[in-house]
Amino acid sequence: MRPLDEKETTQVFNKLHKFVGGNLKNIVLDNQSHEGPDSNPGRYCFRLQKNRVYYVSESLVRRATNIKREKLVSLGTQIGKFTQAGKFHLTIQSLNLLAANAKHKVWLKPTSEMSFLYGNSVLKGGVGRITENIQVNDGVVVFSMADVPLGFGDAAKSTVDCRKMDPNGIVVHRHADIGEYLRMEDEL
Amino acid sequence: MGKKKQKTVLPPELPPEVPDEDIEVSDEDLQFINENLEYAGFVSKLDTHSITKHVSRVADADEGALESLYEKRLRKKLQKKDEEESTLEVDPVDVLPVKTLDGELYYRRVTKESKIYEAESTQGEATGVLKLTKPEKRAKQKKLRKEAKKLSKEEVQQVPAQAEVLDEVKKDISTEESREMKKYKLAELGTAILADPESNIKSLKEMLEISKDGDGVIVILALKSLLAVFKNIIPGYRIRLPTEKEKEMKVSKAVKKLRFYESTLLSALKAYIQKLVALQQQTVYKRVAANCLCTLLAAVPHFNFRESLLAAVVSNLSSQDDVVRKLSCSTLKSLFINTGKHGGEATVEAVKLIADFVKAHNCLLHPDSVEAFMSLSFEDLGKPENPDADNRAKSKKSKKRKGVDESNQIPDNDRKKTRKEMMLKTREEVNADLKAASFAQDPEEKRRMQSETLSALFQTFFRILKCAVQPVTEAIVVPGGFGSHPLLAPCLNGIGKFSHLIDLDFMSDVMNLLRKLAGNSSKIGDSLKSSVQLSVSERLRCCIVAFKVMRNNLDALNVDLQDFYTHFYNLLLEYRPGRDEGELVAEAFKLMLCDDRQHDMQRAAAFVKRLATFSLCFGSAESIAALVTVKHILQKNDKCRNLLENDAGGGSVAGAIAKYQPYAMDPNRSGALASILWELKLLIKHYHPAVATMSTNISSMSSSNNQVYHHVSPQQAYAELSLEKESAVPSGDTKRANNKKRRTNDHIPLKSAVDLALMDQISENEVRQKLSQHFLLLRDIQENERLKFEMDQTTHCLNLYKHYKKQKTRKGRGHAKR
Repeated sequence: MRPLDEKETTQVFNKLHKFVGGNLKNIVLDNQSHEGPDSNPGRYCFRLQKNRVYYVSESLVRRATNIKREKLVSLGTQIGKFTQAGKFHLTIQSLNLLAANAKHKVWLKPTSEMSFLYGNSVLKGGVGRITENIQVNDGVVVFSMADVPLGFGDAAKSTVDCRKMDPNGIVVHRHADIGEYLRMEDEL
Repeated sequence: MGKKKQKTVLPPELPPEVPDEDIEVSDEDLQFINENLEYAGFVSKLDTHSITKHVSRVADADEGALESLYEKRLRKKLQKKDEEESTLEVDPVDVLPVKTLDGELYYRRVTKESKIYEAESTQGEATGVLKLTKPEKRAKQKKLRKEAKKLSKEEVQQVPAQAEVLDEVKKDISTEESREMKKYKLAELGTAILADPESNIKSLKEMLEISKDGDGVIVILALKSLLAVFKNIIPGYRIRLPTEKEKEMKVSKAVKKLRFYESTLLSALKAYIQKLVALQQQTVYKRVAANCLCTLLAAVPHFNFRESLLAAVVSNLSSQDDVVRKLSCSTLKSLFINTGKHGGEATVEAVKLIADFVKAHNCLLHPDSVEAFMSLSFEDLGKPENPDADNRAKSKKSKKRKGVDESNQIPDNDRKKTRKEMMLKTREEVNADLKAASFAQDPEEKRRMQSETLSALFQTFFRILKCAVQPVTEAIVVPGGFGSHPLLAPCLNGIGKFSHLIDLDFMSDVMNLLRKLAGNSSKIGDSLKSSVQLSVSERLRCCIVAFKVMRNNLDALNVDLQDFYTHFYNLLLEYRPGRDEGELVAEAFKLMLCDDRQHDMQRAAAFVKRLATFSLCFGSAESIAALVTVKHILQKNDKCRNLLENDAGGGSVAGAIAKYQPYAMDPNRSGALASILWELKLLIKHYHPAVATMSTNISSMSSSNNQVYHHVSPQQAYAELSLEKESAVPSGDTKRANNKKRRTNDHIPLKSAVDLALMDQISENEVRQKLSQHFLLLRDIQENERLKFEMDQTTHCLNLYKHYKKQKTRKGRGHAKR
């Protein structure tokens, strides 16, 4: 377990920024953890462990130092991992963090929820609502109509273009969805 | 006419006039001269007397005495006059003699005029009837009289030129009289033109000459009478001047005459308009000229020189003079509303002109200049659909027809084919002819104009929006002391009104601009002073307009205007009852919070919390609007009812944010779900019963799940209470009164008592009791205080006395001296 180096940090922050925009500040600086017996709440930080990036409260980090690196399986919330090629990917576990701070949202109609949870992209016909002012390639968090976060992905079209699209056009390219917890249980 | 002229015109002056004027006139004049020779002495003696007589005669032609006088004089010259009449006046009916009550035959030239006037009045002109006519009907219409006066004046004006021949006469005519004469001259010329525009068209030039007079009164009169004349004689079509080629061609007399008439009319009108535009610069004539321009434009928007008329009126839109500005604004509005007169072309031109006008002045104009667009809407609403529908129907029909034809043609043999083709061709030709001949506009054409108007309109709106977004440099001083963005408010209204017509391609731009405007001051950090602060009302309007635009254009896709919610969330904190428009807030509640079906739970909770806080701080009208909205939201969002529980949520319910952060800028980050609506408990004790009941209602929502939905919009609620407020406290500001209520003792019960009494007559007795109790208590307290004070004083005195005695006993002498 180690802190991210500068390059890794930019990679992670860039990725997060795509989804949460200015709210990145909340994630990194303002979010306060109330874990542990400490009277003053600590902050959260990012830690790298076996190519996976974790979002951990500082108090937990201190405790985790007691454990050998090889033996440490996980700590805090995993938010993503670095691939062999050195790229950073957000994983589905980061969904809660993203959903709370998301800038761009898409709400799915109940009928198309299932399709999304099986790993398909979001089609225009399935969109119940969409945040205004999404640009192409912005990070979008996908919700059900009951405001339950379902996953996230990349915007394939801006909000404006969405209006003119036919119902079968892709609005959001899927990155991750909560169906993965079942489908890819082993890899997570 | 003849009579008047004879009498009024002075003998010597006539001869010089003859060569200048028409042949007919010269004939008259010759005859006049002859008569005048006899009269010469008589006229010089009578002079003013005779003139006034004539005037009066003209005015009250019905008086028998006058008539008889008149007749006697005329008898001798009846023949001559008849001739004159025939030459002067075309209408044969008028030439018929009239038998008076005495049984005398009496040739009326005047009658013609009267008839003319009748025609005029039937045309709907307000010019009114002239002098001579006996019947009383026309006597009312003052304008004509004025004209008549003017006409006579004109005559007089010419008189002095000729008067040089006879100095004696000239001396007698004072300026007053000359003015009168000119008036009559104007009237005569005007009536002559109206009687027979074709032959008397040249008199227009004379009238124009008069309008160059040095006398202000005469100029104004001349302008007005010219306006009346033009309004009447301008034909219902647009005159096209013949080309060179056409001029060369041989034409019949009638055509020549017509051409001459048309060209004279055009040149006169041109000169007149130029004159008006020039006169506008002078403060004396400003209003008259503007008035004339506007009336002319409203009366004949189809005619030539419309462009210059429009340009003049549009440039008046931002005039400093309120009267002129309102006038041109209303003229344009009526132009927009009554497109029938000009077929919509003038509308296009006017909108384009206004667009250019706004552009030229960098959007720093009086709001009225864009206000005119608002009436444009009514025309536009129906139009775009109609032509479309027509077109579609037509094209469908034609397609069908073609299809039918083709299907029929195929089986037919060649002969039939050719015949059918022939028939088709001829039919097409006939159709084309029909189209050309029919008055109905081509729907294509209509649509083209429509789109041109729209593009110019939105161009203007966008320009204004962009102007508002751009930082205003200090150097620019806004003329007339309007706000920093005088056009923004009417522009936003306009966009809201026409939002359904906005092109989808533009929409993102509009939304971006609106977003910037709405969030104008929320980024105080970066934009600082460079960007002008918009008022809260303006920013609220931006939000509302954005929602309207979205709602009107997007049926298929439900777009969530997150940014605008954020702005609105923050704007609520900046609202001040006196300064900002409460109606706008109520409208925003309705549009943004009540109408929208879905909300994020977090956001809904944040708004509920903020609205509850909001209603604590402001007057009853605002609070009731906010509470109604709260109720709406809570009814729609079950989960938000957690706010009503006594136990603060937190944990999984509250989401990521475990603690309510009242100062969060983003409603999604406020963590309102972790809080409770304690405000309702306070509001239940609100002095206004409506607010109190509403908050009781809301707080009991969680327990009774099956609520009966009775929907009152926040706007309605607001309007009701604000009306009530006005009637309840006519003189004072209630909000202030409410605030006072908490602080000063004496005023509160009174004011609230007034409220209560109005709201509930039945409780009057109660109030009285309470009031009496209150005042009794007050009196008791005062009494107590007074007694206490007295007691204090007496005890003090006693103490002093004791002290004195002590000292006296101690020091003896020393104290005794004191």
